[in-house]
Amino acid sequence: MEPWVVSTSLIFVYLLVTIVLGVVANRRMTGDLEDFLLYGRQAGFVVLYLTVVASFHSAFAFLGSGGFFYTHGIGFWAAGTWTVLVGAITYVLGSRIWAVGKRFGYMTPADMLADFYESDAVRVVVALVSVLFTILYIQVQAQGLGYIVSVASGGRISFEVGTAILLVIAAGYLMAGGLRAVYWTDVVQAVWMYVAIWVGALVLAERLFGGPVELWRRVVAERPDLLSLPGPEGFFTPGMWVGMSVALSFGIILQPHMMIRYFTAASGRTIKWLGATTPIFLMTLYIPAALVGLGGALVMPDLEVPDRIFPELLFTYAPAWLTGMILAGATAAAMSTLDSILHANMTVLTRDIYQRFVSPGRDERHYIRVGRLIVLGLLVVGYILSVGTSDLLVTLVTLSGAGALQLLPGVMGVCFPTPRPWTRNGVLAGIGAGLAVLYATLVIWPHPFGMHGAIWSISANFLTCMIVSRFSTPPSAETVARVHGEVERFVYGDG
Amino acid sequence: MSQPPPQFRSHYLPRTHAGWVAIVSFAILMAMAQPPIVHTLANRIEPSLWGIPFLYVYLLAVYVLMIGVLIWAMRKGV
Repeated sequence: MEPWVVSTSLIFVYLLVTIVLGVVANRRMTGDLEDFLLYGRQAGFVVLYLTVVASFHSAFAFLGSGGFFYTHGIGFWAAGTWTVLVGAITYVLGSRIWAVGKRFGYMTPADMLADFYESDAVRVVVALVSVLFTILYIQVQAQGLGYIVSVASGGRISFEVGTAILLVIAAGYLMAGGLRAVYWTDVVQAVWMYVAIWVGALVLAERLFGGPVELWRRVVAERPDLLSLPGPEGFFTPGMWVGMSVALSFGIILQPHMMIRYFTAASGRTIKWLGATTPIFLMTLYIPAALVGLGGALVMPDLEVPDRIFPELLFTYAPAWLTGMILAGATAAAMSTLDSILHANMTVLTRDIYQRFVSPGRDERHYIRVGRLIVLGLLVVGYILSVGTSDLLVTLVTLSGAGALQLLPGVMGVCFPTPRPWTRNGVLAGIGAGLAVLYATLVIWPHPFGMHGAIWSISANFLTCMIVSRFSTPPSAETVARVHGEVERFVYGDG
Repeated sequence: MSQPPPQFRSHYLPRTHAGWVAIVSFAILMAMAQPPIVHTLANRIEPSLWGIPFLYVYLLAVYVLMIGVLIWAMRKGV
């Protein structure tokens, strides 16, 4: 049997599994909005762990990371920093977000910020920032899926058709089973992607070099330029190292698909264990990525599109069954992030815009139906964005992360009590200043003075927020006492 | 309705010994995984461990220790 037939078949077997899970999840639905959007706030440790890591790692982990090691060398091992930071942020900030979400019934980040800052303007701005920057993420994942299917089928399934098929399937099981379907498919996707990238990297290292240790020795002997900072093209300067660490940890955590996961946990203890242990999965996934990227730089030094190094190595040097299994794993990595983002955007648009401003007071089944229609709309937008551009995956991920990062001052104002709380005007002005500086330092003058645009933008945001808050009206004392009192009790009381 | 906290106390400073140990350890380890240390002292291939370059092994060790601090903090109830 030809390799492309095996690869494509295994991808479709995997897709069949996700559809079945979506159907089963649909039969478990209660018709309750909180069940559809938040898994009934009952997610236990194992399910939550696997959905968080699956959502965090995306097409980027499979394609972008190998390509980055290939091009820029060992500097991409900075990834370990941001994956460990994700754990620490989840431990400290995520558990507080869970506590206030559980106590006051928040379903979205905008719910939380609008309640504390007593402002519908904050709700709308946070919702728009959430949706705007995660739509870029839909584009990244959908493009990754299109590449994977196109490569797996040897070009027989076009990039456009592959993207469309996988977008429709992800949207389909989300519409059928809500967040339950997303979580269940994420469990399969997390396990599959982890096994796939490790097995693939180790088999390639063994076949091409006689094992990982010998691979490293060859890299030391033949490409020492890949093994020091800032790398062959000077990319990993100190400013980029710090900036990527911040943007890809805080920035991704603050995206709605990650924050909403905190609201779904069964307990605060679940979130804290999640924070303490998720870096094990997140960080170790980049170990095989280094083998793929650095090994690939030795055996395929002139690859035109570095992001394709993993599938190219597989098709050239691995058996067909393994290639298929791994490409299905890459599909899983992309789909698990894609479905989470589709769900998060649906939740934000349904809850923060439609339920709040367009048609309040309807029954919950009505909002579930509207949510499903919104998914259809997102599907179309995601597809159009995906086939319309072709930027590097990692650049888009970084832009997305730095965008959501602008919510950080507002979220910290809710979760970390201070003697003088920040104000709605401060938070709104901070987001505005942060986004303006982000645009300037990523697009007009990329990473001025070697410092990542994320650092410039979040610095401007915090500074503006502090100054404006100093001269504007804070939230009412009752609201501050209610929300900060809950945080105090959770962290230091009987939480 | 929740009762307001009796008085303001900082949430940025740990309130227990274990909290201080966790936050200081994590901060030191994070500094060891950031510039300028990674771009100067740790930015070398030798000495290698079984042929694996020093920078890679060094960062892996720091990351593992950071995860260890998080798990220790969890077990201590920080």
